[in-house]
Amino acid sequence: MNRDLSEIKQDYQNIKVPDTLRPRVADAIAKAKADMANTAGTPNLTGNAASHTSSTPLPSHNGNDPANVPKKETCAKAGLHSKAAAGKDCRKTELPFHSPFGKAAGAAAAAALALIILANLSPSISYAMEQVPVIGAIVKVVTFREYGRQDNQMEANLKIPEVQISGDENGENESLKDAAQELNDTIKAYTDEMIAAYEADVKAAGGEGTQAVDLDYEVVTDNDRLFSLRFCQTVTMAGAAQMEKIYHIDKQAGKMVTLEDLFQEGADYKTPISENIKQQMKEQMAQDESKSYYIGSDVPEWDFKELPDNANFYVNKSGKLVVVFDEYQVAPGYMGVVTFEIPTETVADIVKDGYLK
Amino acid sequence: MTTPNMQKMQQLVEQELLASYGSLYRLAFTYVKNEADAMDIVQETAYKAIQNSASVKNEAFIKTWLWRIAINTSLESLRGRQREISCEIPEEYGKEDVYLDFDTIDALDVLNEKERAVVVLRYFEDRKLQEIAAVLEENLSTVKSILYRSLKKLRTKLTEGELCHEP
Repeated sequence: MNRDLSEIKQDYQNIKVPDTLRPRVADAIAKAKADMANTAGTPNLTGNAASHTSSTPLPSHNGNDPANVPKKETCAKAGLHSKAAAGKDCRKTELPFHSPFGKAAGAAAAAALALIILANLSPSISYAMEQVPVIGAIVKVVTFREYGRQDNQMEANLKIPEVQISGDENGENESLKDAAQELNDTIKAYTDEMIAAYEADVKAAGGEGTQAVDLDYEVVTDNDRLFSLRFCQTVTMAGAAQMEKIYHIDKQAGKMVTLEDLFQEGADYKTPISENIKQQMKEQMAQDESKSYYIGSDVPEWDFKELPDNANFYVNKSGKLVVVFDEYQVAPGYMGVVTFEIPTETVADIVKDGYLK
Repeated sequence: MTTPNMQKMQQLVEQELLASYGSLYRLAFTYVKNEADAMDIVQETAYKAIQNSASVKNEAFIKTWLWRIAINTSLESLRGRQREISCEIPEEYGKEDVYLDFDTIDALDVLNEKERAVVVLRYFEDRKLQEIAAVLEENLSTVKSILYRSLKKLRTKLTEGELCHEP
């Protein structure tokens, strides 16, 4: 095969570039410049290409981008995570190339199925996960159950946590308990969906599929005010895709919060944050050639424009807001999950007290 | 109208065109398979690129952007050719197009447009997968799977030739 490829390559390299091509390229460049100087003129190349009956007619220009780009998909489409992906705002478009799973539908499910539910039998893990906040009620996270499956070449390993409130014998923190319950319900819905998607893929693949789904979690923030739990889902097929989802509990108010809730009601938090992110993208790209974001690209329609409604975020140790984007959301896939730390002064006049420093 | 920045970009595009028109020509050739059309495509690519050079924001993208224009122009040319054939009978033949005899390049015909671009750019032009992803507006894993599928198709095609010789 490699020999054959190198033969093709040799023939490819032997394709002779005609001597007359260079002057024609130069002509085209000159003509394009001249036409631009005259503006408004419709481009017309036939003068240069007239020597040939087969000369291709120049299609009329529509839009700025001659590359005439096909629709972009920012959300990697890989069976499972297209359903489980947290970012509902993913601009998703059908790709002509699908995962092999769809076609394999109908075959029987894989032979060996092993479903393991561990009701947190390992105390060492659960204690390691415990987080002790500075003051107030203690929010604990324990691995409530593990979902592990191996179906031929497909496997899933999900760690599913549960949040518990302790150190509250007097029942002072009823609302916090409610919030914890709400979070646990959310976690259950989130992971159930992931499991269902995985099981559907196994069934559709009929034992032929190759896929690994992993879910892990960590406590990213646990300060006086906020408790945030981050989920990291990795779906590996031909390549890997990473998705993150972060849930937050406001320990003082005793409720789950989203980014919007960090700011005064009705305040426009999206614009300053989005502008700051754009600026950071540009700076990073200017400083480091290997970095690339969807901004100022030659395809304006996929450029990052504004923070989505349900943006992922957390508050880091120094009390700064950190915005998290999934793979493909604002940058080419090789950039992975990308984060931006937002300087607090950017939102200083609209943020509610106590969330950011 | 033209800012210094736009002029600079135009100049960079021009430089890149003059440096890589040979590669653009070969790429176009794998699609249209004849010299005259391939030359037209390169010429048209150059024209479009200069005219639209202002839309390139980052000079690092110039190369991939040119590839993309060349590929799309090739495809337009192929489609135009199909239309021409179906709706009109040419009254006279001018100079006959010269079709070179490249058996192995014809093997690329088993690949669709996208697959062909991936194989040519990856193996013949030694471009990085990331760059190819940028040219085709696909993510990296999609490009990898296209590449994998293309090799499989090519392998089938090439072994087929070995086993049963065509009359």
